[in-house]
Amino acid sequence: MGAVVITGVGVISPVGTGKDDFWKGLIGGRDGVGEITAFETAPFRSKKGALVKGFHPKAFIPPLKIRRLDRASQFAIAAARMALEDAGLSLGEGVAPERTGIVIGSGFCGVVNSEAFHRGQVLRGPGDLNPILFPNTVPNAAASHASIELGIKGPNSTVVQSFCTAEAAFCFACRQLMAHKADAIITGGVDELSAILYRGWNELRMTAHDRGEGERSAPYDLQRNGFIPGEGAGIMVIERQEDALRRKARIYAQILGYAQTGGAAQPGKRVAHAISGALQRGGVKTVDFIDGAGNSSPRLDAVEVEGLRLAFANRYRDIPVSSIKSMIGEGIASGGMRIAADLLIMEHGMIPPTINYEYPDPLCGLRVVREGLKAPVRTILHTGISLDGTYMAILLGRTDGIS
Amino acid sequence: MRDNKRVVITGMGVICATGGSVEEFLVSLKEGRQGIREITLFDCSGYSSQVAAQIEGYDPLDFFDRRELRRLSRVDQFVLIAAREAFADAGLKNTIDHGERSGVCLGAGAGGMLSAETYHHQLLEGKRPRPSFLLPFVPSYATDRLAERYRLQGPRTTVTTACSSSATSIAYGAELIRWGEADVMACGGGEALSELTFGGFCSLQVMDSFPCRPFDAQRKGLSLGEGAAVLILEEKEKARRKGAAIYGELLGYALGGEAFHITAPEETGREEARIMSEALQDAGVTPGEIDYVNAHGTGTILNDQVETLAIKEVWGEDAHEIPVSSTKSMIGHCLGAAGGLEAVASLLAMRHHFIPPTAGFERGDEICDLDYVPQAREDETAIVLSNSFAFGGNCTTLIFGKGDL
Repeated sequence: MGAVVITGVGVISPVGTGKDDFWKGLIGGRDGVGEITAFETAPFRSKKGALVKGFHPKAFIPPLKIRRLDRASQFAIAAARMALEDAGLSLGEGVAPERTGIVIGSGFCGVVNSEAFHRGQVLRGPGDLNPILFPNTVPNAAASHASIELGIKGPNSTVVQSFCTAEAAFCFACRQLMAHKADAIITGGVDELSAILYRGWNELRMTAHDRGEGERSAPYDLQRNGFIPGEGAGIMVIERQEDALRRKARIYAQILGYAQTGGAAQPGKRVAHAISGALQRGGVKTVDFIDGAGNSSPRLDAVEVEGLRLAFANRYRDIPVSSIKSMIGEGIASGGMRIAADLLIMEHGMIPPTINYEYPDPLCGLRVVREGLKAPVRTILHTGISLDGTYMAILLGRTDGIS
Repeated sequence: MRDNKRVVITGMGVICATGGSVEEFLVSLKEGRQGIREITLFDCSGYSSQVAAQIEGYDPLDFFDRRELRRLSRVDQFVLIAAREAFADAGLKNTIDHGERSGVCLGAGAGGMLSAETYHHQLLEGKRPRPSFLLPFVPSYATDRLAERYRLQGPRTTVTTACSSSATSIAYGAELIRWGEADVMACGGGEALSELTFGGFCSLQVMDSFPCRPFDAQRKGLSLGEGAAVLILEEKEKARRKGAAIYGELLGYALGGEAFHITAPEETGREEARIMSEALQDAGVTPGEIDYVNAHGTGTILNDQVETLAIKEVWGEDAHEIPVSSTKSMIGHCLGAAGGLEAVASLLAMRHHFIPPTAGFERGDEICDLDYVPQAREDETAIVLSNSFAFGGNCTTLIFGKGDL
């Protein structure tokens, strides 16, 4: 798996837009969660969300086009532009449009338009439908708009796999690159938090709510009782290592290995298999940091800990772990923002805190990072967990000495 | 690693308007039977069309018990029905023996939209709908249900590129096998008719009020359809060693973007031609070696024109020699299931030595003047190219070969 490297990153997140602001937010423990005012939350048990604030699409998209695009598509275009620029790649110059791909993980992009379109059907009937809405109900609208706006003509796909949506896209993109279907691929995850989606998470009783400790995203904390729905985009540019070296690109990290497993029964074991698989492929026994999937839901975090315990034996207590979902909440494609964070963690040699970690869950027994921690990080294990039965482990490593 | 491994199809399962099994589907393709009729699934009296290739006479209780049905939307049911046939066909009762070596990659279109519509409808009426209507809304829901039923512990991915989803799922499933991440992959996809999708295509004015007539001069648009197709992909040598019956091999593919418009194809056909050429190159075959083009052929004025221009660009003078047909003329446009159903049709064409027809095709026009096969005909088909084009300019071309099997 040594062939793929990450050379560019673009982020739009609840704690900051652009990699610098995102990083400042993360390392400073900036809480991206707040009371939702964008839509009515009165009917719901939960009131908070991790919404993107201060995003100015005009900086990235021609003004006339902005109003025809949903937020998800705006996020995708903006983050993809940032990532390409960060990678120093220009379509048509550094790389041909036909050799540039885009593979985006997007769970519920298009839902906001689906809801609006269907509302029109129910309330106004078939005679008065808005034809602009319908093409934007498809989940691939975000990636497609980005491909149109940026002129990307290579492999183009959109992937969803429950809470591992961005990781699944990332793996898809890696395989396309290794199969030489493209020379550079833009990949990651995009989420838009809409009123209807917020309703859905609430209806399915998955969200955090106030039981005396406040409504918080508190991964691994004893008092955790659900996740905070979030949104944003984390987009990367990946290339084969030899191409990146040839054009003397700045290399954030190499993908040392990844593994995916499935099955809803014995999830801890399945998570452990994914982790062991990724470590084995990367030829390492331990890592410097674990970027946890823990999203503050009681069961998911416990499953992750069991997986780590089984995969690392007692060593898991020594490896610092942090979940930035404490600050950015949970989209189902927030893995994109997390991979972006992984790259910045390696670059800065600092680990961001898991905020709201106040009452350690004795069952967890993890070395959770509570305050920003200075530490050389050469390898990161990134986990992805969906209790529907999808588990991912991605192993990233610095490539100093190579570049 | 990748170059040493090849991928074959060892099992198939189908449900669509013209057949509840591969056998029935085969007969309907040979007969050119059209499954497009009045919709009874929901009221569409106010729309510009009232027809679709709906699966009729379907009683979920013939396949599932009431408890299961509470968790399965119409599309999930179709996927599981197709999967049952495919796994049995491949001689895999369940794949627990393979454990983490078997996975699933499905394409999804509107997914559990029909179920979510029920929820939303009740909500807008001021009622308190059952939250479980929302469960199937995540497009990976059917993927998870299939994995759960057949105890697949390997990779899982769901592709959501609208009309090209399930074609892409086959391409990616094959990659996972070629890279050694799995030995067995269940691929394909499902689609259930929904009011949103139906109304959506009507709002774009691309729906024919009659059953669609792909490539015909009188064509007015598409007809929607529903169903599911599941294909079992296996690594060729392993499949051979265990003596599996092999339908064919995925020789190559290409995924591309047109980067042109969210709904309209690039009008010269240049981009579609490029993607077909990339697939040919990937498969290592020349245009002249293709025996049959299983077209995207939706029946919209623009699609059929552009696809024909693209075929002319790739095949040049020989374009008139190659049979081109659209099975959507019989089963409608099944969106998230379309590429999977068309892959099954392509593989059946090879195994049973025939070219599926474009049912209802009478005469073309100035641009659409190729051999669109109005009636099924017997013919040796060793290599087939299948196109799937989607909203957003997501194009996928698959090439299947009978090979040295």
